[in-house]
Amino acid sequence: MVIKTVTSEKEAACQELKKAIGAEKVRDDEITLVTHGRINHGFDPSIPYQKPSMVVFPESREDVIETLKIANKYKISVNPVGTAQMGIPTAEGDIILDQRRRDKIIEISTDSGYAILEPGVTHDQLTSALRGTGYKCEVGTMTGSATVLAGGLGRGSKSFSNRHLSSILDLEVVLPDGTIFNTGSMMYPGVGPHLRYAGYPDLAGLYTGAAGTLGVITKFAVRLHPVNEVSKVHIAGFSNFSDAVDYVKDLVNHNIPEHCIIWNWHMYQTWPLDAEGMKTVMPEILKMDILKPPEGTPYSMVTSFLSGYEEQVEFYEKMCAKIAQKYHGRAYPQEEVEKRWPQTMAGLKQQYEEYSYREGTHWSRGRWSGFVVFAEPKDIKEVEKLCAKEFSELGPRARPINNYAHPFDYGRTFLFRYAGFPETDDVETRQKIAKKTVEICTEALKRYRAIPIAGTGEMPGEKAYLSVLSRIKKALDPNNILNQAAGARMYKEEEE
Amino acid sequence: MKLAATLEDVQAASSTCLRCSWCAYGPWPENLPLCPIYWHEPSFTFTGGGYLFLAMALLENKIDFNQSVADYAYSCAGCLACDTKCAVIRSHKSHLHIMDAIRLLRSESVKRGFVPEGAARKIYDEVRKTGDYGQVSELKLPEKIKNDKADTVIFAECSHAGSQKDISKSTIRLLEKIGSPVSQFAEKGCCGSTLYDLGFWEQLEPLVKANWGKMKPLKDKTFVFMNPHCQEFMVNRYPEILPDYSAVKNQHISQLLADAFKNGKLKSKNTGKVKVSYHDPCYLGRGLKIYDAPREVLAALDGVELVEMKRNRENSFCCGARALGDYVPNLSEDTARERVKEFEATGADLLITACAYCKDSFQKVMSEKDKGRVKDLTELVDERT
Repeated sequence: MVIKTVTSEKEAACQELKKAIGAEKVRDDEITLVTHGRINHGFDPSIPYQKPSMVVFPESREDVIETLKIANKYKISVNPVGTAQMGIPTAEGDIILDQRRRDKIIEISTDSGYAILEPGVTHDQLTSALRGTGYKCEVGTMTGSATVLAGGLGRGSKSFSNRHLSSILDLEVVLPDGTIFNTGSMMYPGVGPHLRYAGYPDLAGLYTGAAGTLGVITKFAVRLHPVNEVSKVHIAGFSNFSDAVDYVKDLVNHNIPEHCIIWNWHMYQTWPLDAEGMKTVMPEILKMDILKPPEGTPYSMVTSFLSGYEEQVEFYEKMCAKIAQKYHGRAYPQEEVEKRWPQTMAGLKQQYEEYSYREGTHWSRGRWSGFVVFAEPKDIKEVEKLCAKEFSELGPRARPINNYAHPFDYGRTFLFRYAGFPETDDVETRQKIAKKTVEICTEALKRYRAIPIAGTGEMPGEKAYLSVLSRIKKALDPNNILNQAAGARMYKEEEE
Repeated sequence: MKLAATLEDVQAASSTCLRCSWCAYGPWPENLPLCPIYWHEPSFTFTGGGYLFLAMALLENKIDFNQSVADYAYSCAGCLACDTKCAVIRSHKSHLHIMDAIRLLRSESVKRGFVPEGAARKIYDEVRKTGDYGQVSELKLPEKIKNDKADTVIFAECSHAGSQKDISKSTIRLLEKIGSPVSQFAEKGCCGSTLYDLGFWEQLEPLVKANWGKMKPLKDKTFVFMNPHCQEFMVNRYPEILPDYSAVKNQHISQLLADAFKNGKLKSKNTGKVKVSYHDPCYLGRGLKIYDAPREVLAALDGVELVEMKRNRENSFCCGARALGDYVPNLSEDTARERVKEFEATGADLLITACAYCKDSFQKVMSEKDKGRVKDLTELVDERT
């Protein structure tokens, strides 16, 4: 037996939508609604619970158009999502537009190195489909059931490449009035997603990070990267973060690695742990001071993904070892890492050799809570020091503090993530971290030009930018039906 | 999970759920949907995580316990696929599993008087009336092999499943062919697995205690089970429920048969070529990790060729038998149909399983002329030895 809860206008909208696209694609039963009260990746009691009015599962672009039309008519906010969404605010009574059933891989072009996907395609689906094609896609440190769109579109951090900041190429977007358009070269019939901009401005850029507030993405293209003859993970250890950054910068400047990550010692020892390791190894590491690794344990470990012809990779390995020495570090042979940190090596192999995801057991252990910024190499070193100092003031319940960093855009910038591991139900500590995050972001921006990955609307210079965005928003979504909660954060001027 | 557990006890573990829906799929690179309810209705609500989020919504008073909650809780087929896949929940220090939370939702529903209509209600009424869900087993050992002092004790399960009677008969014939002495544990009284899974916990503890009291004197012997649900419950749950439980040697009938072929006590006779596909029952496979023995038995049968279904072993797709709620209409039948479709795609002649519930579930959705194509492993072996 299904008990229904929506009433009045929303009930009418729901009935109309059921009639338009089929009742089986629209759920308004109480259990569906309460299980969508917090839609972000991971249960977070510090995020307010907001019950939607219905959850829609479109199976075609036309279903999306119908949903938007009806939402526009009744002026109900629509929140487009995939699986494992992050940082998507919701409002009470939203229509959650869950695109997971739109999961077709439309095209894989190994000639031009792109894939065109429906928004519900997951990383696991894409990496599986790419097996044997000689191409791979970007892989991060999250679970593979996350939709490519969820992580890749909102943020540029999912990476298998030092060379690009974003994996997104072109998009197909539907606006609230039913307009459908393609960004970049995909606008021309029969032409693939080769150029995001040429004769016209880059509209895909407008939608990257817009959290569905400017239109609903119904198709998109991502970059693929070739799998070369030989692929190897090179590992180097350093006694401090600064040396690790210099090492990575040097490597990237010499076009050596496809991809690098700098892990601090808490992170590289705990990220790949399996369920048993989480119960046994993790608590021991949690007790240790992040600033004082045990004797012989490098503070920072850099994993560099090397690929090419066999001779080329051999040469790269030699270069990595030489450059590591130059920055007071040393290469760690895989056998040594395997012996000392077996699960770390297993995780790296899975990620780099099979280019598939580790399960998010690490993430779940208290849940990440911290901040992400982009900064130039010299500044990122200072940001790390600032974070270490500031986070240590949060007390033992927020620790240990884990961090990792990726270079992007040929090493011009580094993404840096710093986080505490409070227990999931420790709302007080989580809120303390959230407050501290804003403080550190403001300070890091002021002192070290570190760009926060999530805008607050409070930073100097944001006002004019947001004012322009608000004008665009008004033109594209005059009834403000696209993700009102996210919009309220972004389009402040409109609110005033 | 202890029977004194409450929803509060799963809150901490539940709140580690990443909401990623990974629990609904098999492993990379195939990524095949394994969770029947998610396969039927792809939505976060219908994943293991959805059940955890509902538990948390109940604890946060975002929803009241009502008939819908019960119908939803009983709609899960209980196939354990989510717990096999998701390491997040089981990596929590509370050692809980997603299925524990689902059973707790059922138990709490029952406490509040919400039991779904249909099979679950029927069982509940019987349990409330008699304090038991047991029937006297129809398994009668022939005098030739019956020996109360034998080291092997056949656990004579009650005959809830329609297929159990025929499976028991085949088992007796096979034991007779093997010829080793066997004793029988055929006391009246449910082992408790059904009551446990369905949340009828009020009646469970006395039942399990009484059962254990009768089993205890035999604990140095090896218990052989035909029904994986009974075996899994005894192996994995008795230690959690009974403070004085001590491990009992146990075997599934497929393991006993595999041994019998290996030591020459059972011989195959070629009665013609046949292609079979083997369906791993959830509690025998994911519950007890017994995947090889049934396949070894099939390999020992002359003329039998095993063709695997796409989803097999740890990634087997459920038969749908235990989806007893009606929150998702036709879930049980549609799940069985999907599995039968997968079997048909192999081109095999026979669908072999090793659980009476699975056999019943498949036969329920097959045409009269095809019903005979579903057999229990014991039945196939009996025919061909």
